[in-house]
Amino acid sequence: MSEKIYCGRGTAARGDPVSTDSETRRYPLYQLYFYLTDECNLACRHCWIAPKYQNATKATSFLPIDLFVSIIREAQPLGLMTVKLTGGEPLLHPQFAEMVDIVKREGLKLVLETNGTLMASEIAEAIASCKNTFVSVSLDGTDATTHEWVRGVPGSYDTACAGVRHLADAGLRPQVIMTVMRRNRDQIGEMVRLAEWLGAGSVKFNLLQPTSRGKQMHHSGEALEIRELIALGQWVERDLAPTTTLNLIYDHPPAFRPLSRMFGDHGDGCSVCGIFSILGVLSDGSYALCGIGESLSEMIFGHARTDRLVDIWEHTPMLGEIRGGLPEKLEGVCGRCLMKGRCLGSCLAQNYYRSGDLWEPYWFCEEAERAGIFPETRKVGRGAGAEEHLGTLVSEPPS
Amino acid sequence: MSKTIKYHVRNPDIVFREEFDDWAILFDPDTGNVFGLNPTGALAWKMLDGTTSVKEIAEAMMRLFSNVPEEAPAEIMQFIDELVERGYVGQDVTTP
Ligand code: SF4
Ligand code: SF4
Repeated sequence: MSEKIYCGRGTAARGDPVSTDSETRRYPLYQLYFYLTDECNLACRHCWIAPKYQNATKATSFLPIDLFVSIIREAQPLGLMTVKLTGGEPLLHPQFAEMVDIVKREGLKLVLETNGTLMASEIAEAIASCKNTFVSVSLDGTDATTHEWVRGVPGSYDTACAGVRHLADAGLRPQVIMTVMRRNRDQIGEMVRLAEWLGAGSVKFNLLQPTSRGKQMHHSGEALEIRELIALGQWVERDLAPTTTLNLIYDHPPAFRPLSRMFGDHGDGCSVCGIFSILGVLSDGSYALCGIGESLSEMIFGHARTDRLVDIWEHTPMLGEIRGGLPEKLEGVCGRCLMKGRCLGSCLAQNYYRSGDLWEPYWFCEEAERAGIFPETRKVGRGAGAEEHLGTLVSEPPS
Repeated sequence: MSKTIKYHVRNPDIVFREEFDDWAILFDPDTGNVFGLNPTGALAWKMLDGTTSVKEIAEAMMRLFSNVPEEAPAEIMQFIDELVERGYVGQDVTTP
């Protein structure tokens, strides 16, 4: 018996007190997601943000740095601890290096999501000097042909690989993110080897979301079927993970994750969307639930030039609805799921995008249930019948 | 007048699910809390039937699992105490 007997617990954390104001006390604003520009130097066929393609090294439309600073100032008393820089491609922002300096100076944790193509050694070192930095770089193939088929721009494979290397050379252990689709599914194992070779610390396998450009790929059969996705997830977690020292994360919802991977001594919890403690800032200075605001105007809550952040955080009706409704109001398979207190329906923005209803279930689990392959042990069951009660599940203690 | 805790019994409202790898979930329908139990924890849970003592649970563990450390009974007790604290397990208390 090398492990603890009992492991972990969890509903979604709603945060610790940071202020005397009621909403802020219950819901600290721990993270801001800055979508620094709505432009990108790649043209990925699965992108859920669908930014304007910009064949350049500097964006023409981006978040003004004075707003970046004032938003951070307003967020600090509300609990701000982490700043995520994303986009479009965040390194296209002409003052990206200054923004990194500001994050460092304020002692905030830096999270960066990048396609890696513009990462040079100097900026990698600046990024690495921030507190607890976490960087992810997207690689969608283990060769230029596959990666560039997905990413739409010749030469982007070599520059992305070089970007990962620069980050590793600066002392970081970047995460490689691969979005799994029909075209690259046979390269998953090789991707782990490539990530090891480049000096990455982990590999995350993302699902191709049926949002924006990804929706087209689902329609055209370029996305994998639900059965294939579930089988791949099992293979990654049970067979591929033991072959590497890198942490492998397959982004299927917790209902599909082995308990040992979530709760074991070397478990990684289960990724909980921090929806109670996150706010998005779009490149024009709008506040939004997250990047979904780029596609859905009803997910925009106000603007940093005209609205006080504290008012947005405490009085936006949709945020209030989410706080009051999660996880109890989740419907469909999410409503019947044992993991809902932890998972919170995976991604509310995604669910809303699909249906216009915040409480709709997550597509992955819904499709799995329709196909009859949602794990029965993770469902609440048919009402509070006797089968739910352990006494009837286990008749005799083993001897 | 000291109280003696004789046995522990599971709260029947708590949902327990065993899975293919002998891990199990405890789910509290009132709070939505989820707990993961590894195979030894799952075994202990199943034996909290109001008639089995901690000593007997530890003995069963020694029989069924390899490398069970000497401190297993103390660990089981700690596990049970946490469950009691959460209201997942009740105690049969006698007052001699
Ligand atoms: S996925 Fe990332 S790199 Fe690709 S187009 Fe979208 S923002 Fe740009
Ligand atoms: S059914 Fe919903 S709550 Fe449960 S794991 Fe899937 S997405 Fe999460």
